[in-house]
Amino acid sequence: MSEKVAVIVRKEVLENLKSLRYWGLIVLFVLLFVAISAAIGSAIQGLEAPAPGRGRPATRDVAELRLIVLFVGSLSSTMSFVAPLLGIALGFSAIAAEREKGTIRLVLARPVYRDQVLNGKILAATILIAIAVFVSTALSLPISATLYGVTVTADDLSRLMLSLIPSILLALAYYALSLFISVLSDRSSRALLYCILAWIFLTFVLPIAASMIALSVLGPPPAIALNRTSATDVEIGVTVTVADQLPPQLEDYYRKVGEITSSVLIISPNDRYFTFVNALFTRRSPQTTSYVDLGSIIATRWVDLAVLAAYVAVFTLLSYIFFVQRQEVR
Amino acid sequence: MEYAIETENLTKIYRDRAGEVAALDSANLRVPKGVLFGLFGPNGAGKTTLISILVGLQLPTRGTARVLGFDCVKQSLEIRKRVGLLPENYGFYEHMTAYENLEFLGRLDGIPRGELRRRIDEVLELVGLKEWANAKVKTFSRGMNQRLALAQALLKDPEVFILDEPTLGLDPQGSAMFRELMTRLVKEGRTILISTHLLHEVGFICSHAAFIRKGRIVAQGNLEELAKQYREARGYSYEVVVQERPEDLLRELRQLEGVVEVGLENNTIRVRASRDIMRELLGVTGRYQVRSLRERAPTWDELYQFYHGGGWGE
Repeated sequence: MSEKVAVIVRKEVLENLKSLRYWGLIVLFVLLFVAISAAIGSAIQGLEAPAPGRGRPATRDVAELRLIVLFVGSLSSTMSFVAPLLGIALGFSAIAAEREKGTIRLVLARPVYRDQVLNGKILAATILIAIAVFVSTALSLPISATLYGVTVTADDLSRLMLSLIPSILLALAYYALSLFISVLSDRSSRALLYCILAWIFLTFVLPIAASMIALSVLGPPPAIALNRTSATDVEIGVTVTVADQLPPQLEDYYRKVGEITSSVLIISPNDRYFTFVNALFTRRSPQTTSYVDLGSIIATRWVDLAVLAAYVAVFTLLSYIFFVQRQEVR
Repeated sequence: MEYAIETENLTKIYRDRAGEVAALDSANLRVPKGVLFGLFGPNGAGKTTLISILVGLQLPTRGTARVLGFDCVKQSLEIRKRVGLLPENYGFYEHMTAYENLEFLGRLDGIPRGELRRRIDEVLELVGLKEWANAKVKTFSRGMNQRLALAQALLKDPEVFILDEPTLGLDPQGSAMFRELMTRLVKEGRTILISTHLLHEVGFICSHAAFIRKGRIVAQGNLEELAKQYREARGYSYEVVVQERPEDLLRELRQLEGVVEVGLENNTIRVRASRDIMRELLGVTGRYQVRSLRERAPTWDELYQFYHGGGWGE
């Protein structure tokens, strides 16, 4: 790393570590994690008693589920919401605000290449994202332990550490997208608006669009009465037992819906993150407590990491092209 | 003559939906080494674009520009090592102190850590901001920001200074400090290019100037060279200071060939002529009780009005 890049990295890291925006997002993570954990926790409590009006007790051991549901559910839900915001918060103003305030003129009047400026900013963002993701994940452990008595095994911990990679990649994907928007913008407010719109599209619009596409392709589900399916089971994602109980026509229908939505959501960084992290904590079978081995997960879910990495690579490359070569001297 | 800055047919065309706008149109600028050079022109004349190209912030559409012999496109990094720039519409990191801002910029300049601390103290002292070194820039007034901008340009002790509207926002004390500093730097052998439309602030300390209008350099040179063109178009002005009301002298002056106007104000006779009549004036005034006779050189303001007000090149 050149000295000029190191100077920019140091300034960017210190600047953000002193900012309310950065720590505010970590606080948001903690609050959201507690809220989501509480929501999922109460859903699990509901499983212990017979489901109201259904008369059927829960089929899974609640204590066994807690770790998976609380950690994987709460952590990945919170992270998939906060990590994009972290990426956007670091990226939208990276260049646009410097242009707006005129600081970029003083920087570029120095003997420094434009790509060095971008290198410094990207490296600093990676460090800041890694710190935020690590701190947030680390905070989730004592919170879960305190609130719900979750105990973490060595295997859980190693998988939790491994989940930092997609978390960082998710935040970096949004950072790269925001950086690209920032490079194209002269005003940080405009850049922020476009970043938020992109986030809304990828987080909320795309899943709805995927379902609508599936519905328009397959039509409405076949009208078959569901007598034995617990609504609560579906809500918390315990689909193993539910799927067994579905009539073949419905099972086939939902399988096709799943295939179509998955095909559309392949471009969703949030979905790729969510899928990969959940895969990390998938058990070999409903009857066992051991997880699927990591090699198998990587072999089957590598595409999730590849999509996230592609977001980072493509938008970073575009940022370089437009910032370095578009109109000004390198 | 050796030039610190030299441009040849420098052209910058901006394209947008409305069409093309030539911010610079075949500009040929020559700034000799070791002078205080004014680049004078109204807002939108192309001054900032020209400066941006000189330091590599923008690419020219056509033409060439060299600073200290380095090409502005191919060797812009070498230029930025040697040029202290005070750009227009600059900004500092407001949550950082004056010292921290200078430290960051100084390190990007490549100044070694140990030397940098000393240089920051020196330049803050020079611009009168030493007491404010540890104050956050967001608390600074416009004038203090301008002083800090000057400090950052001085930081690497450059051979050439390029200053865009450097006195904007400075109070009278700040302007005086600035002029004194510029004069001193030129004496030390630095080249200073000052771009401004506020001639009354810095015009009189410049020894050379160029007038830029609609992206073209319409005239350039030292004061004498520029005044010559002015005189050829507007005529020559002389001032004769006398001891008593000289009716005969006034009559004789009016009869000289080429004299356009003769006026008397207190003890000073002002003569305007369409040609150089100094020799004849010496002959005539020699016969009277005259305290002094001198040709009145045009001021920068008059030259500005002349070169920009339609008196030249239309």
